[in-house]
Amino acid sequence: MRSFLSALVFTATLPASLLAFEKEVRPILEHSCLKCHGGEKVKGKVDFSKILTEQDADAQFELWETVVEVLEANEMPPEDEPHLNAADRKTIIDWYQRRSQASIEAKPTVFKPRRLSGPEYRNTLRSLFGFDLEIAVAEAEQTVITDQSLVLKLLPTDPPGNSGFINDTHRARLSSSIWEQYLHLSNAALEKLFSKNGRTQLGEFIGKTLPSNWQPTALSQDQAERLIRAFAPRALRRPVPEKELSKALSTVSGKQGAALLAATKLELKAILMSPSFFYRGLLMEGEPGKQQAVDQFELAERLSYFLWEDRPDEELTRLTTDGALSNEKTMNAQVARMLSSPKARSLAESFGAQWLEINSLDGLLGKDPIRHHALKTQTIDFLNYLFTENRPVMELIDSKITFVNQGTSGFYGKDRQRMKRYTKAKGIERQRTPNQKLELVHAEGRGGLLTMPGILTMNQGPIQRGTWILRRILGEQIGEPPADTPPIKGSPRGQNLSFRERFELHRSDVTCARCHEKIDPLGFALEAYDQNGQFLRATDRPKKKSNKPAPPVDTSGKLPSGETFETFGELKAILLTKKREPIVRNIVEHTLSYALCRKLVRNDQPIVDAITKNLCENDGTWQDLFQQVANSLPFRETIIETAPISHE
Amino acid sequence: MSKNWNIERRTFLRSAAGALVPLPFLNLMESSAKAASLDLAGDSKPPLRFVTLFKPNGVHPPSWNIEGGKENDFRMSPLMAPFAKHKDDLLILDNMGDFGFSSHSNSTRRFLSGHHQNNKSASVDQLIADKISGDTAHRSLELTTEGLFTNQIDCSYISYDKKGGRIPRESDPQLVFDRLFRNPMRDPNQREEISSLLDRVRDDAKSLQRKAGREDQETLEEYFTVIRETEKRLEKMAPVSGPGGVDFSSLKRPEGAADLNEQVESMLDVMAMALWTDSTRCISYMLGNSNSRMIFDFLGIRKQHHYLSHFFRNFSRENIDSLLKISLWHMEKFDYLLTKLKSYKDQNGSLLDHSIVLFGSGMGHSDNHTAQRIPIVLAGKGGGMLKTGRYLRYSKNQELGRLHLSLLQKFGVDSPSYANSSAPLPGLDGGHFEEYQERPFDNWVKTGKGKITVQGRLRMSDNLDEAKVFYIDVDGKAPVRIEVNFGDFHGFNLAYHVGTPITLTGNTSERNGRLVLTKVTDLKSVFGKSKPGKAKG
Repeated sequence: MRSFLSALVFTATLPASLLAFEKEVRPILEHSCLKCHGGEKVKGKVDFSKILTEQDADAQFELWETVVEVLEANEMPPEDEPHLNAADRKTIIDWYQRRSQASIEAKPTVFKPRRLSGPEYRNTLRSLFGFDLEIAVAEAEQTVITDQSLVLKLLPTDPPGNSGFINDTHRARLSSSIWEQYLHLSNAALEKLFSKNGRTQLGEFIGKTLPSNWQPTALSQDQAERLIRAFAPRALRRPVPEKELSKALSTVSGKQGAALLAATKLELKAILMSPSFFYRGLLMEGEPGKQQAVDQFELAERLSYFLWEDRPDEELTRLTTDGALSNEKTMNAQVARMLSSPKARSLAESFGAQWLEINSLDGLLGKDPIRHHALKTQTIDFLNYLFTENRPVMELIDSKITFVNQGTSGFYGKDRQRMKRYTKAKGIERQRTPNQKLELVHAEGRGGLLTMPGILTMNQGPIQRGTWILRRILGEQIGEPPADTPPIKGSPRGQNLSFRERFELHRSDVTCARCHEKIDPLGFALEAYDQNGQFLRATDRPKKKSNKPAPPVDTSGKLPSGETFETFGELKAILLTKKREPIVRNIVEHTLSYALCRKLVRNDQPIVDAITKNLCENDGTWQDLFQQVANSLPFRETIIETAPISHE
Repeated sequence: MSKNWNIERRTFLRSAAGALVPLPFLNLMESSAKAASLDLAGDSKPPLRFVTLFKPNGVHPPSWNIEGGKENDFRMSPLMAPFAKHKDDLLILDNMGDFGFSSHSNSTRRFLSGHHQNNKSASVDQLIADKISGDTAHRSLELTTEGLFTNQIDCSYISYDKKGGRIPRESDPQLVFDRLFRNPMRDPNQREEISSLLDRVRDDAKSLQRKAGREDQETLEEYFTVIRETEKRLEKMAPVSGPGGVDFSSLKRPEGAADLNEQVESMLDVMAMALWTDSTRCISYMLGNSNSRMIFDFLGIRKQHHYLSHFFRNFSRENIDSLLKISLWHMEKFDYLLTKLKSYKDQNGSLLDHSIVLFGSGMGHSDNHTAQRIPIVLAGKGGGMLKTGRYLRYSKNQELGRLHLSLLQKFGVDSPSYANSSAPLPGLDGGHFEEYQERPFDNWVKTGKGKITVQGRLRMSDNLDEAKVFYIDVDGKAPVRIEVNFGDFHGFNLAYHVGTPITLTGNTSERNGRLVLTKVTDLKSVFGKSKPGKAKG
């Protein structure tokens, strides 16, 4: 996929190819493939039955890369099924090549509303009300509290959407049990707003400091009206027309005391329970049937949920009134401002952690919460540093800066001596400590994300480590191993083969080699790091029981593209140079996908290309990337569908 | 955003924001009379309740133990002072527990399960719940203050289901209150409100629908479906109020807790309401995980509880004072619960009269983890099951399982044995038994050539500056002072024998003109086991 994407140019589409799929390819699929892939069965999750038009085919373009690969390798159809004749095979491969060389038009996708994810809902409530809804639970060292947020405790965990990110909630359905949880949360928030603990926030809404002995039943007509007027636009993230407001205001008018309080609470609850609150985008205005810029409020919302997982703040809201956000410079200034806010840590904690699968470290929580804290916060703090301090995107791979606390300092040799001394207070037996920013001078085999102890711990063994780098860093799609993979065999009699040698025998199988020639060199290059992520020098390798010195670890390898290396350090140098483009591209794709809350489609590729090119040429930073994403066409524009159509 | 990186915020409990606000229960007091009178119309007896309150990390024995004293004639110890006013409602048990040393997790498991290996069956509270819950809305509640102590997971649980599985606990009083009393679908007032809310949001969504495109349309369809389903559910669910006609909406929802003290008191309030409204009859509540490293900063203490609980190793007067402050706070909460249960009228008596409250810890001496002389107090008469106002000092260390078996039988659970015990603990209902009558014994001391042998009752110094000092009282003579290193303290498990008569042999040296036993060479128990076995218990 890489090769054809980088060759793309902006030219007119070729109408000749448009009908080729339906006319030429589709009949072959129906005849030779559909039986197992979408007819009677859907094997290997490949389903051709829903791919009816060239447009459908484009939507799953990465599928065709695999199709062509297996056709070229003669792997499909399988041996016990009728073969595909050479002409048909050529038709499909030719179609793919024509199609892949055809230029792609950058186009936004059709506008789809989506429900707030759990963290988005939590943050939105928090910034709307000015307080958190947390469960009361005492905190103590080594005690694990997984669901302190009432929101996250009550709402079901969001599954990752097609994009792999949980903010892609397009398929997370609303159910009556979720609706009732929303109701509970709305009740809890309003209860707190009118309690003593919410007095300041309530005063803020009605624009008046309330005395501490103030009773909610003393709410006046005027105050109720101010409250609703202030609350509605903040909750709904856009101005609310007077016509809509008047309905709410009329129900509270003429009441007082407890009746007024109850009516006011009901009106606020109605706002929190309306779909316009917990869905994003239902209120966007636009012209049906047209590609157009999203409205200012939607744009502000897109930006703040992207960088903060939260609703727009006051400054952003102010900019919506005169359309200032449409200006690229204003947008860039806002991105820079927002990245400097502590709220931008959500980029590391949500975007970074989900993309890089850092939450898989949570398995450690049960065993050792303090170690878990050390390993996890190190990666999050590092990502947060890259994202918010305008660091070059490639510093993800190599950086002179790391973040270290007592739990990770042991990995950093002499460099740890420059850390600020930490002394445990008397009477403290165990303690999690904050990370310190540390410049790497002497530490061997460190620098960048890939050799952080947490990453090396969550991926154990060369295969997991290699697969992770391939998928998460180089952005290659590889499938799951086939179900009938034979186990790795032991050493043949009389030979004492290392895992690597035995694995090489295993790999000699052609079907295995297809993925493993990519995975293995990356993974085995990290063999000098043990399962805790400790870097082992040749001198301190553990001896085996037999007292024979352990054979030296072989970290050398050759990438499928031909580059060879002896150590991980050399591989890193290759990643930073020859593999720079695919790595930057992968970073751009993940960032854009997270920002758009959806899987990328073919029409996003020109945008990915342009941003990748720009970052590669200018040694661009994460801030540059976020700015370019925020100014990109699919971020700023959308297609609004025409009025309701009937379902067939 | 996670707060994990913010060490200050995570490590210390939120400090008290202003004065403590007791939660009003006056509204309950008023309606309780109504409920009681309604209930009295029949001749049904009030239901029996079983409540457990767990104190983490053992005690400082000299401050907890009752020294001397008889069944009906005894003085409460300094740590008991906070609940001394309930003396007539208490049955204080001494010499409970029969393990030499115990890990935190095993001692926690044993607290309601009798034996740590009894891990395939239910804890005693759950067996009682099965028997007494009747048709209450909630069979039982399992509550706590803290998250999970995952390093030794059993430190976080006292209640176990019938397969011995850990029952999840809840820590938030508001959440528990809402679950018990604010089911919006059943509360008559809230049903009305939900009904108008549903109408209201449907109207709003309909106005959206008019201008919606296909994608919006699908989203709104889903929303309307949910609204319709909720309406149907609302119709199906009958409005329910509490037994005896208690209007749940008159119960006051606890305010958000500013610190641990408020959190715990709110939970105790909710527990009392739950029992009084007969929403449940069985509750277990952990004031903390065993091994808890909580920092009681609202008491002005900055050291971790577990560290302080090891008062022999980490001895300083300041540490002992801090530890006692924490323990006294635990005792105050026990008092708070009892006072609360007494404040509710329950037919002819108080709620406490028809309840049994089991208060205690999993271990005795918190430094070397002896699971002997475990603090165990029963409160409430349980509708006449217990004869309270007494102090029962068993002559031999008693398995906890015997107490549990006794309780099971009293609550009507037909069980011939529990955990490793097949004989119930005698004496709880007032019957006299030899087992808590200590036989008379001689006390004497012999000295010579730097050696000493002394027989008498071993006790810890009651001087708080001397946490490492023990005494054996000898009639007519000055008590023999014992001041040994940690090796002897631990090796001979002095803490295990505290409160019981022993014969102790050792080396002496003279200090300030007084003979002090500085090295133990032999220890024999007069009545019990000299070397408590089951060291790994």
